[in-house]
Amino acid sequence: MGGRKMGNLNEIAAHLLQNDDVQLIIGYGEGSAGRVRPLFVSNKKATEKLLFDSRCTQNLASYLYKKEITCLGKPAIVANIRTLRGIIRLAAEHQLEDETIIALAVSTGDDVKELRRLEDMEQYLSEADLQLKKEDKALLDKLNAMTIADRWAFWQQEMAHCIKCYACRQACPLCYCTQCTVEINQPQWIPVASSKLGNMEWHIMRSMHLAGRCIECGQCGEACPANIPIHLLPIRLAEEIRELYGSVTGISKRESCEMSSFQPDDKEKFIT
Amino acid sequence: MARIGVFICHCGENIGATVDCFSVAAEAAKLPGVVYSVDYKYMCSDPGQSKIKDAIHEHKLTGVVVSACSPRMHEPTFRKACAEAGLNPYRCEMANIREHCSWVHEKGEATTKKAFDLVRTLVEKVKNNHSLEPIKVPVNKTAIVIGGGVAGIQASLDIANGGHKVILVEREPSIGGHMSQLSETFPTLDCSQCILTPRMVEIAQHPNITLYTYSELESMDGFIGNFNVRIRRKAKSIDEKLCTGCGLCCTKCPTKKIPSEFEQGLANRTAIYVPFPQAVPNKPVIDRTNCRYFQTGKCKVCQKFCPTGAIRFEQEDEIIEVKAGAIVLATGFEVKDAGFFPEYGYGKYKDVITGLQFERLASASGPTQGEIRRPSDGKIPEKVVFIACAGSRDPAKGISYCSKICCMYTAKHAMLYKHKVHEGTPYVFYMDIRAAGKNYDEFTRRAIEEDGAKYIRGRVSNLYEKDRKLIVRGADTLLGGKPVEIEADMVVLATAAVSCKDSESLAQKLHVSYDSYHFFAEAHPKLKPVETNTAGIFLAGACQAPKDIPESVAAASGAAAKVIGLFSNNELTREPVVAKINQTPPPVFSTCMGCELCMQICPYQAIDKEEIKNRNGEVIKTIAKINPGLCQGCGTCVAFCKSKSIDLEGYSNKQIYAEVMAVIND
Repeated sequence: MGGRKMGNLNEIAAHLLQNDDVQLIIGYGEGSAGRVRPLFVSNKKATEKLLFDSRCTQNLASYLYKKEITCLGKPAIVANIRTLRGIIRLAAEHQLEDETIIALAVSTGDDVKELRRLEDMEQYLSEADLQLKKEDKALLDKLNAMTIADRWAFWQQEMAHCIKCYACRQACPLCYCTQCTVEINQPQWIPVASSKLGNMEWHIMRSMHLAGRCIECGQCGEACPANIPIHLLPIRLAEEIRELYGSVTGISKRESCEMSSFQPDDKEKFIT
Repeated sequence: MARIGVFICHCGENIGATVDCFSVAAEAAKLPGVVYSVDYKYMCSDPGQSKIKDAIHEHKLTGVVVSACSPRMHEPTFRKACAEAGLNPYRCEMANIREHCSWVHEKGEATTKKAFDLVRTLVEKVKNNHSLEPIKVPVNKTAIVIGGGVAGIQASLDIANGGHKVILVEREPSIGGHMSQLSETFPTLDCSQCILTPRMVEIAQHPNITLYTYSELESMDGFIGNFNVRIRRKAKSIDEKLCTGCGLCCTKCPTKKIPSEFEQGLANRTAIYVPFPQAVPNKPVIDRTNCRYFQTGKCKVCQKFCPTGAIRFEQEDEIIEVKAGAIVLATGFEVKDAGFFPEYGYGKYKDVITGLQFERLASASGPTQGEIRRPSDGKIPEKVVFIACAGSRDPAKGISYCSKICCMYTAKHAMLYKHKVHEGTPYVFYMDIRAAGKNYDEFTRRAIEEDGAKYIRGRVSNLYEKDRKLIVRGADTLLGGKPVEIEADMVVLATAAVSCKDSESLAQKLHVSYDSYHFFAEAHPKLKPVETNTAGIFLAGACQAPKDIPESVAAASGAAAKVIGLFSNNELTREPVVAKINQTPPPVFSTCMGCELCMQICPYQAIDKEEIKNRNGEVIKTIAKINPGLCQGCGTCVAFCKSKSIDLEGYSNKQIYAEVMAVIND
């Protein structure tokens, strides 16, 4: 199954490089075994290899702050809805500045939109469908319907497969810290080796660090080599926060984090 | 290598009777790193402290654990003792084996074991302690007083007379507050204006006081000794330097039917106005919402007549920024508004008035020149009913508290009425007579016994108008609930004193806590009555709770004393228990990612941004920076920081972790 090449995307990318508007295009290219993979293009000719189709679900926003990418110059990024939300959230947390990247928004069809400012991306997102994937929604409903004991048993069993590879962390656009809590050994908060308690501690901590920040892209779950649906943890927290405070993340560069802000009219039903 | 000394206190019988202190000391001596361990009857006594000092010298201690009472009382004692022996005081910690152990458990092995566990955890913590130095912050010796009522006036004068600069901010066109509206004051019946206006003039003339009237606090940041305050000076629409206060504009202004705030709606004022003749400053302002020119674009009569050309229609609000070391809040109170008392017919019947309106009727400078005449037809009332506790002490109305001043001013009103209308009869419906204060009870007795005020203990159940009379129905509970009906000519409600409408937003601007009634909260109800929880911000007067004049003045002088005490130092010393962003020098590196989420979470606004530059002066990273002057060491940011880039001095992650691990790894 070959990727549907989009003349439009390739032309725009080539044009941007030619005009030296950007020095790098971050996008998707054909991988092995019928899969797509991230593609980094810095010369005009190679833009032919860029593609976008239904397989291109990866959130590429996590490449935007990686040192080995940022040293290549100003990027344009092929952006699905997830990537766009990632960009907006990164900007809200002051990890990206406005007009330092160009987003090539491609949600449907051949219609590639060149978004140069965060404001344009916000506008684009305001018309986008931010629903969860159907299978995620189904599993989440199933988990929500469980008793606390069953849910705990479910996660304990799932976490037993975790090999502490931290692929989830590497894939997450919001795990941009240069020093992660798991890497601190003075004191050693979370044990290095994969163990029942340590695995659970890592995932609980990761979810808590994403509470009020997670943009619900599900990239962590997709990256997991053990196929643990770990993305549902931060997504469930996002749901909880939406219910409590009505806020959605990754849609406005001025948004804050509900876990770090206080408004006098915040609901306090969790205090009993 | 750590050399820890452990000192177990018996606290007389307090700990000694329940915990086997000797064995705790003996066990502690075996802990790794502990080189000396001893128990003693009273560690806080002189010989007890000497034991610590001697041991520091003798055993070259690098850390001390005093296992005794709560650190709240004696931590400073023991830290001082350590400092005197040459050990950094922050290397001394207390294990609380009294409140946390001996007082809450029976005597027994388990209790002794717990005491030892508490000691053990602290030993592990102290091993990770390092020397800290107190933080010094400079003090700006200017005070800002917000509110120019009697409390604000008193506080300003006291601070100014103490030799410090004061900026007094008043939102109305004149200072004076409620006291300037009062007729005579209890319990001496001296004229309110006569005693207040000299003080008001003193404010205007004092070389140390800068007065900003018609101004409000816009925003505040900074911390004790170093506040930055922005003040909005609302446009008065006149040039104050040119205006001579002749008052010609006020007489010529064609908009004359605006209910006067000062007269409580009993008289009218013009759109360009001075609130009352003794106002300070005695210069008019234009009330733009009622001014014909500002509303319709045509008029300018005042400008035409002004002999000095002082009218400035184009003037705009001005925001000025001032620096100060202390702030005194003296924003006062309000009386509950009309809509609150439908059952008493307030707002419906013209002759039902509030206590403050009665003050204006009784005032020689008031709308009736001090004659008691009812508002509807100007008739002198033959019977006046005073209703105490109108709103106050009424949980159903949401005001559970006693407004405190009403019993006294109601007695005063009854007395003043009787003094002015000899043939009249004052009736007072009351719940209790609360007259606690110097000469207060004598005063109310005088109203009843000498001036013949008829006190009826009971509440008014019904009030309606009939043939130009107000029929007041109630019950006399002292006569077994006997129904009472009075045909009154006028009814005066002792309305509840409530907090100012915008006190909540002001409290939030200043980060001062407030109670459920939006009165500002003191730091301690008994021992810190004029302090707030925010260091450097003090309270004076009725913004804290309903207060009468003597109390307000006393609180104001108290707040002033605190400010002067603060200003007696050139710099402040603060505990170094503050959060710090990790940074390694040079080249400067920090793991802080600059997400700025800690800036939002900090309850003390102590976190700011800092740019890290390379050798060429280029910004390579923007990180968070904690202001040690503002940080209160609460640790919220430490817990929130995802990259663990913040740590709390004296309670570092490493220290707490060691402590917790000591408990777990028994």
